[in-house]
Amino acid sequence: MKAGWFIGLAVAAVILDSAVAPEIELLGARPDFLVLIVAYAGLVLGARPATIVGFILGLIVDAEQPEYLGLHALSLSVIGFASAAAWEHLVRGSLFVQISVLFGAALAHDLMYYVVYYRNHLDIFARFFVRFGFIGAAYTAAFTVLIFVLARARLWRAIVGGTRV
Amino acid sequence: MLAQLSRVLRGNRELSTFLFCVALSTLCLALPPGAKGFVSSVLSGVLLGPVERVTAGFVQRGRVWEENATLRRIAVDLMTERSALVGYRHENQRLRELVGFLVAFPEEELAEMIPARVTGMPGGRVVESMRIDRGNSHGLKPGMPIVVPDGLVGKIASVLDDHSLVELLTSASSGVSVVTERGRVRGVVKPTFGEASRRGNWEIDYVQTRSDVREGDLVVTSGLGGVYPAGITVGRVVKAIEGPLTMAIEIDLAVVFSTVEQVFVLTGKAGVPADLDELRQRLLLELENERAALEGRP
Repeated sequence: MKAGWFIGLAVAAVILDSAVAPEIELLGARPDFLVLIVAYAGLVLGARPATIVGFILGLIVDAEQPEYLGLHALSLSVIGFASAAAWEHLVRGSLFVQISVLFGAALAHDLMYYVVYYRNHLDIFARFFVRFGFIGAAYTAAFTVLIFVLARARLWRAIVGGTRV
Repeated sequence: MLAQLSRVLRGNRELSTFLFCVALSTLCLALPPGAKGFVSSVLSGVLLGPVERVTAGFVQRGRVWEENATLRRIAVDLMTERSALVGYRHENQRLRELVGFLVAFPEEELAEMIPARVTGMPGGRVVESMRIDRGNSHGLKPGMPIVVPDGLVGKIASVLDDHSLVELLTSASSGVSVVTERGRVRGVVKPTFGEASRRGNWEIDYVQTRSDVREGDLVVTSGLGGVYPAGITVGRVVKAIEGPLTMAIEIDLAVVFSTVEQVFVLTGKAGVPADLDELRQRLLLELENERAALEGRP
């Protein structure tokens, strides 16, 4: 899998996140396709590309909300770098590990983003996070299974075998 | 210290990229609102514009599908409602006609009428019978006449508890004693035989030649035979041809049986169904007597 693929997937992730995610809302929570793509960029491409992918995707999304320009870029950059670092110490080819990393990444992203977003209303943040954070993270992590199955079918060694390109 | 940091960053490109991105993000966050707006608009134009166009297409298509589905549902509802309204309009019209028909009857005769709904009618070009939703339990008996505002329909042939079978005028075994309203010429209406009967034509039998019958004459029941009361419209003469002994009179029945939905059963004149042969014999005898009188025989 080449980096070009990831640019295509990144664009697809933005489209999925803005057009598809609202349609497949579950108990008020939506899957975070941006976290999914950035975390897998960390697995497949490594820390540097994952950080850049996270930063650019974050900036694209932030452009819609000028008030918080840079917030998504910051949180997704951290997710890209941190997930890549985490993959270094884990059995990357394991589905269970991938689900766990994705769950943690989605949770961490929400935590970073909404702490800043609700910085003056931390009580609301706590309620919001308890109510939607875990469900959203679980929903995002559930897509890992789909990606894993697809990767196995297409023999994407990077994901199934945990080997970097 | 800066030199040491520079050395570390140069040695670790991943960390330096990460720190660069974090620094840039933090800078963006720290920008004044006006600058944020400017940067956002530039980013929107360059990065988000193409993506937004694709996304808008998806969202719009989704909305169109949703709207389409809603409109389809509304169309089905409206069609159903329209069908019901058309049905109500026809029923309303029919009931108005029935009211007009009933007003013409004296009160004592109205009490002898039982309204009934047609519940069954066999298919085919010529309808010979129909089923109505009134029976034994409503006091109906075989032989009772059935009418509609347009005229005579037939008589009850058999009765069950909750429904009855009506033998229509169009039945091959039907025979109704009639009289022309203008010339008071009597005869018996029955279906014509052969090809004509299949087309649904009827004629008046046993009418002496040179009788005063013309095209357009109204034909009503004569009251003879004890089955149908006198004066019920049966049809109109469409052809009257003189023969050597009797006239060939063709009539057009007043009632279009295939469209009848509501009928009235006349219970007052209920009795034993007319014996067609007996009626025919009596009319033939009358005819013979009149001919004998004309010829001066005793």
